[in-house]
Amino acid sequence: MNIVVCVKQVMDPDTPISAFVIDEVEKKVVPAQGIPPVVNGYCENAVEAALQIKAQEGGEGTITILSLGTDFVMDVMKKPLSMGADKMILIQDEHVAELDAAGIVNVLSAAINKIPDVDLVLCGQQASDWDNAHIPMGIAENLNLPCITSALNIEHTGDKLLVQSALPDGYQTLEAPVQSLITVNNLFGEPRYPTLKGIMQASRKSPEIWSISDLGVSSSELEPFLILSELKIPVSEGNCEIIEGEDDADSGRLLALKLREEKII
Amino acid sequence: MLDYYNVLDLLSSEERQVQSVVRDFLDSEILPHVADWWEKAEFPTHLITKFGEMGLLGANLPAEYGCPQVNNMTYGLIMYELERVDSGFRSFAGVQSALAMYPIYKYGSEDQKKSYLPNMAAGLTIGCFGLTEHEGGSDPDQMKTTARKVGESYLINGSKMWITNGSIADIAIVWAKDEDQIVRGFIVPTDTPGFTANKIQRKMSMRNSITSELIFDDVEIPVTNILPQAKGLSAPLACLTQARFGIAWGSMGVLESVYSDALSFSNIRSTFDKPIASRQLVQDKLVDMVVDHTKGLLLATRLAQLKDAGKMQYQHVSVAKRENARSALNGARSAREILGGSGITLDYSVIRHMLNMETVDTYEGTHDIHTLVIGRDITGQNALV
Repeated sequence: MNIVVCVKQVMDPDTPISAFVIDEVEKKVVPAQGIPPVVNGYCENAVEAALQIKAQEGGEGTITILSLGTDFVMDVMKKPLSMGADKMILIQDEHVAELDAAGIVNVLSAAINKIPDVDLVLCGQQASDWDNAHIPMGIAENLNLPCITSALNIEHTGDKLLVQSALPDGYQTLEAPVQSLITVNNLFGEPRYPTLKGIMQASRKSPEIWSISDLGVSSSELEPFLILSELKIPVSEGNCEIIEGEDDADSGRLLALKLREEKII
Repeated sequence: MLDYYNVLDLLSSEERQVQSVVRDFLDSEILPHVADWWEKAEFPTHLITKFGEMGLLGANLPAEYGCPQVNNMTYGLIMYELERVDSGFRSFAGVQSALAMYPIYKYGSEDQKKSYLPNMAAGLTIGCFGLTEHEGGSDPDQMKTTARKVGESYLINGSKMWITNGSIADIAIVWAKDEDQIVRGFIVPTDTPGFTANKIQRKMSMRNSITSELIFDDVEIPVTNILPQAKGLSAPLACLTQARFGIAWGSMGVLESVYSDALSFSNIRSTFDKPIASRQLVQDKLVDMVVDHTKGLLLATRLAQLKDAGKMQYQHVSVAKRENARSALNGARSAREILGGSGITLDYSVIRHMLNMETVDTYEGTHDIHTLVIGRDITGQNALV
């Protein structure tokens, strides 16, 4: 089975809040000094899912990592290759910064169409930078693929996939054609650590670098529907209130009442 | 990684990736538990095969023996990250790699390499290194352990002391004098009758590293277990050079850890309405730590470049081991001072590292012995005898 995994390079979500800076005039997040970006966590889960499917197939097939961005840090982006993916295609283009979700969906869809013999597309459920979760479903819509979200397990049986998909209070098992798009999050399980051998093998693989103009996407497909008019860091206010009762038990009861009053519990 | 001089920019992408991945792995798998293991004097043996899967054992040895075959810079970075967590883990991996696998690779027969190295790389076979004896470690030529040839076997008699991994090892690389008083190396399976390993108790340093006394009472091993290329004391000393290389790197991991704790604590802790980080005397200590780390990291990096270029001499290693172990020990003591009373609890890393560094500064050549090694090299006068 040939699998494409869409992967995004994001700002490290563990960046301390003191290092999180935005440029309100340019309406951009300023990359934190000295803190390298990371591969989006859910995308790593999606890579893990792809590796497990490939292992089920006895190692047959190809896992291609696909990413879109203005600038890539290769130390970071090679991680999926070090984990065991076979190939990587990076769509590196300065115009990416001007795209909204619809434009990104159109570019990624065109790129997937350009990759030969793709069976399955896997995506992280959402990216930890903006948390929009727009892209996977947009790609599925564009490519007319069935879409299953939040996979817990993916099994290839005959010409079908059996996918356990998480629900708020359990899971459902869905049958889907192999040609599908499936999103994955942390519920799938921990992504493996790259091994030293994996890193050394990945060092011999060079990513293919594409630009948007290679993909035959029309300018109208790149035109943003959404305009970012303002970007602000929310102002957070702290307030401390001491709840005092007649004894510890009474204090606890009053605290619980207060929390319920504030709709926290 | 603490990198005040952007030393990481000198490294390759793969080298930086390994450093980052090993750090992530250790921060998840070991760091949350390390203080408890240290307090209970436990070594988490269940992690050994995980180390093997990651490729942390014998990492710089050839791929044909199941090893990742990374360069020495990468090996150094691994040792840095292991020791940033705790010297016991660097010690475990350093002994397995440099003192058990390396002698087999360097001095062993092809059969021995094929037989032992893949399982050792996978963490399925654990090794230890028996050179030091009860009378002292700085003069190994005075060893009393003997190997007497009887037919197609050797009979080993004697004892070894302060042996890392001794009680969990499957094989011991044992150095003993033959009937011609020549130091030879032997692969001794630890289940051989007459072999005993006694775990050394009540240590107040390297508590999560297993340290043992080894006793050999007519331990009979086949002649095929001798390391054929190892003849004379230079062989075990060459192994120690490999291990000391790892210590030069690992010590800087310790310095990063204690510096990070001291820096964050000094920004939170206030006296007289100001954080203690604003006080000149505290800044003096923090600056010494970060400058020593910068110098030590540059020293270790250059040492790795020399090793990868085949130009490293043992006296180069003496410089780096001597300097980096001592500056990490001093840094840990300073950090302990900055943390005040908090510095004596295992809630922070500093007391654990400080006590560990007393060992690291002593073993694999004391500070004084390395001084004399370098002194002999620059003057041509041997003060060791």
